[in-house]
Amino acid sequence: MQYEIRVDGLMSETLIGSFPELEHVMISGQTVLYGPLVDEAHLYGLLARFQSLGLHVTELRRLPERPK
Amino acid sequence: MEDTGDELPRGVPLSGGADPLGDPFLRTRFALPGRPGTFLRRDRLVEHLGQALRTPLTLVNGSAGAGKTLLVADWAANLGQPLAWLTLDAEVEGPGMFWAHLLQALNAGGVPPPTAIDLPADATRVHHTLLSRLAWELAGRDRPVVLVVDEFDRMTDPEVARQLEFVLRHARQGLRLVLVSRTEPLLPLHRYRLTGEMTEIRDAELSFTPEEAVELLELHGLPLAVPVARALVERTRGWAAGLRLSALAARSSPDPELYLKEFEAGQGTIADFLLAEVLERQPPETQDLLLRISVLDRFCPDLADELTQRRDAATILAGLHRANAFVEDFGHGWYRLHPLFQEILRAHLRRRAPGLEPQLHRQAAHWLRRSGMLPEMLAHGAAAQDWTYMAQALVEDLAIGQLFTGLGAGEPADWFAGMDGETPDPATNLVRAAYALSRSDLDGGMTHLRRAAGQPAVDGRDSPAALLSRALLEALAGRLAGSARPGEEAIRSARELMPRLPSRLLDGHPELGALLLTHVGSSRLWAGRFDEAREALTAVTRGPRTASTVLPRLEALEHLALVDHLNGWPGAAERKVLAMTAEAQRYGLAPPWGSGLGQLVLAAVALGRDDVDRAEALLAGTPGPTSADPVVAAAARAGTARVLLARGRTSAALAVAARAVPATDVSPWAEGHAALVLAEAHLAEGRPDAAVEALREFAADQPPCTVGAARAHLAAGDPRTAVHLLDGLAAHGRSGPGVAVPAALVRAQAAALEGDPATARRLLAQALVDGRREELKRAFRSAGPWIGPFLAEPALRALAAGWLVPDPEPHGGPEQGGPGPGAPLEELSGREREVLERLARAMSTEDIAADLYVSVNTVKTHLKSVYRKLSVHRRNDAVRRARELRLL
Repeated sequence: MQYEIRVDGLMSETLIGSFPELEHVMISGQTVLYGPLVDEAHLYGLLARFQSLGLHVTELRRLPERPK
Repeated sequence: MEDTGDELPRGVPLSGGADPLGDPFLRTRFALPGRPGTFLRRDRLVEHLGQALRTPLTLVNGSAGAGKTLLVADWAANLGQPLAWLTLDAEVEGPGMFWAHLLQALNAGGVPPPTAIDLPADATRVHHTLLSRLAWELAGRDRPVVLVVDEFDRMTDPEVARQLEFVLRHARQGLRLVLVSRTEPLLPLHRYRLTGEMTEIRDAELSFTPEEAVELLELHGLPLAVPVARALVERTRGWAAGLRLSALAARSSPDPELYLKEFEAGQGTIADFLLAEVLERQPPETQDLLLRISVLDRFCPDLADELTQRRDAATILAGLHRANAFVEDFGHGWYRLHPLFQEILRAHLRRRAPGLEPQLHRQAAHWLRRSGMLPEMLAHGAAAQDWTYMAQALVEDLAIGQLFTGLGAGEPADWFAGMDGETPDPATNLVRAAYALSRSDLDGGMTHLRRAAGQPAVDGRDSPAALLSRALLEALAGRLAGSARPGEEAIRSARELMPRLPSRLLDGHPELGALLLTHVGSSRLWAGRFDEAREALTAVTRGPRTASTVLPRLEALEHLALVDHLNGWPGAAERKVLAMTAEAQRYGLAPPWGSGLGQLVLAAVALGRDDVDRAEALLAGTPGPTSADPVVAAAARAGTARVLLARGRTSAALAVAARAVPATDVSPWAEGHAALVLAEAHLAEGRPDAAVEALREFAADQPPCTVGAARAHLAAGDPRTAVHLLDGLAAHGRSGPGVAVPAALVRAQAAALEGDPATARRLLAQALVDGRREELKRAFRSAGPWIGPFLAEPALRALAAGWLVPDPEPHGGPEQGGPGPGAPLEELSGREREVLERLARAMSTEDIAADLYVSVNTVKTHLKSVYRKLSVHRRNDAVRRARELRLL
């Protein structure tokens, strides 16, 4: 399942390094991280990691699967 | 019995508590966190928090770095009454660990739980009675106990939330629970909100107002105008960590006020941006130290020095703490990083020194091992994937026994789960053997044990600790294989090895000796060497009573109970199982306890009392005849077969009794008891000669089989041989009433047959006296119809009244239908009982036949047999009689 997670602020390269499994882009003062998540546990683990780094998640959505 | 031949050398038990993992409690978990000099007390929050004393539940909920902990710690410090504090961390995992720590927090806070509640000994589970007792005890207190659990978000097990809610509900006014958490706990908060039973402080309330920010920065030596503060609060969202970091960054800049005025995180994330700023302005040694210790949840200067390989941590940490930068003081020389900063620092570490993390974990593991902190050592060892080191530490520190006693199911396996491929060294093979054996995987265990034995030790010589660990595992493997020799060899080498080990090591691991003796005791029991088994097992029950030895002590008690039962002392056996249950509950263990042997013994005792339903119910909860432990398997086989016999299901009983229990050595009693079942089945079906044959090889040295054989001879019409056999029993002096009573009944019957009713009466009287003490009803009820007329005699009837037969009517009320006095009976078969039950429901013979899928004639045959056994002639009398005898 593909997810997209928006975080307030532009994350530094160092912090982005904490999410090696995700791609990222910076858009208008926000960092958008996206990529395939293994399962729901992975999702909750990610959210806990954002929280423990003091990051504010502003949006979270599941992307439609790309047709093969 | 004062023989202590099997006591192993041991030292004084450790003082002070140990948690279920056998780890000395880290004081830091119970310490009220200190407040830095720059802490700003905010009255509005203190006032709100004051309501915590009036509501059962208080929730302080906020993001990382919102200032939750400091707020509650400051309030707690000024409360003026005892308070229990518990800070959770990743190692406090599972209900057992949680409740052990919670109880310890009550101790440390000066509001100790009653001594009747011992710490849970199993890290993964906790028994409900512990919770009920705790709640009940709290509810009875004059003033409520205030309990703070910090970082409750670490506890992700929903079971713990349920248990906490249970205790909170039932402690009523006795508990004020304050949960400090980043996330909402899984308690039914809506219910507490609805009834106004909850005080709640959340992120928005924790945020700093501009006025508060001015005060806070003043404490940092930074005077600030309110408008500047307002802008700062806006940028940081009033976030405590953000304000603190900006103060630190400002202070190290040439013009602090200008810095604060103009600081813009740009569009960066605040904490990350500010932390990078602050970090860069630290001297290189400080930066290096901060990055390296980010792999640790807590540390003291010495541990930090280990990671930096320098000797300056004490100075740097004290300086950082004075400057209120990153480091929090726990007291006792221990610190931790603020969790938020720790995470960010770790991200910096990964970026600046990729690949350094495993090495840091390895260094930490080394230090932790030297300091005796086993679980933390394993956690860091696994993070470093340094399996050899972990295994060697477990073996050389004599901690291998803890894989069986303390570490709970699953956890240790997880530590080595990341390991794949061949096992390179003897220590790792020993640890892997231990894992396999702890899961009763005998083949896997033996494979690794053999590999370990065949490998040369690293320095060419096996250490005493490695040899002792191997001895323990060999003893367990021998026990599971049903072989007595490995255990005896193991105990011999243990005696030789233990004096060569430092007593500090031995005293710290009482579970090792307890486990070894339990395995040896169990192997001896299997081999039928009851007295020697008892020696080893008694040494366990008399050994150190610590949480780490509770599991072997429970097992020793149930094995001792089995010895009592096999020797014919049901009452003593039952008392031992009850003692075991009490001990398990004291330590908050959740059932099933031990190996299931205790319950099997209780089932056997119930059957002896002719309580077949209870015996059956008890058996249902045991591992059964397929258990990997031969003693358990054999006891289950005998118990199951006997209950089936009692139910009249002869062929099913025979099938169970014929099932082999795989074992290297033959167990005389296990085989003897299987033969007894076979013999009883033959007797029940009228083949006494076959019964004699079945018991032939056991009759000489197995007292219960001797009695069984005598009974078979009697049934075959040979009272002389029967009595002759029983004469040999006297040699076995220690048989109890469980053997003596059935033996006396055979003699009595023989005497009656030979026309000597006086002797029969005397023997029967003695059997009744002995049997009454142990409630051995079944022996009398299955003795046969000959006993009826004797028990009808007033003298004997008096001895049987009240336990074996109903008490006589107080005023000699008329006994209707004249079925004679309530004599015990020849046992009804299962089919006869089924017919009788339907008779009681007023079903006709035809209905019963249809219901049971048998012919009317068959039902009539059963009815005749029932009438005969109940000494009645009519259906109504049969039903009434059956009710009197509680057959219905």
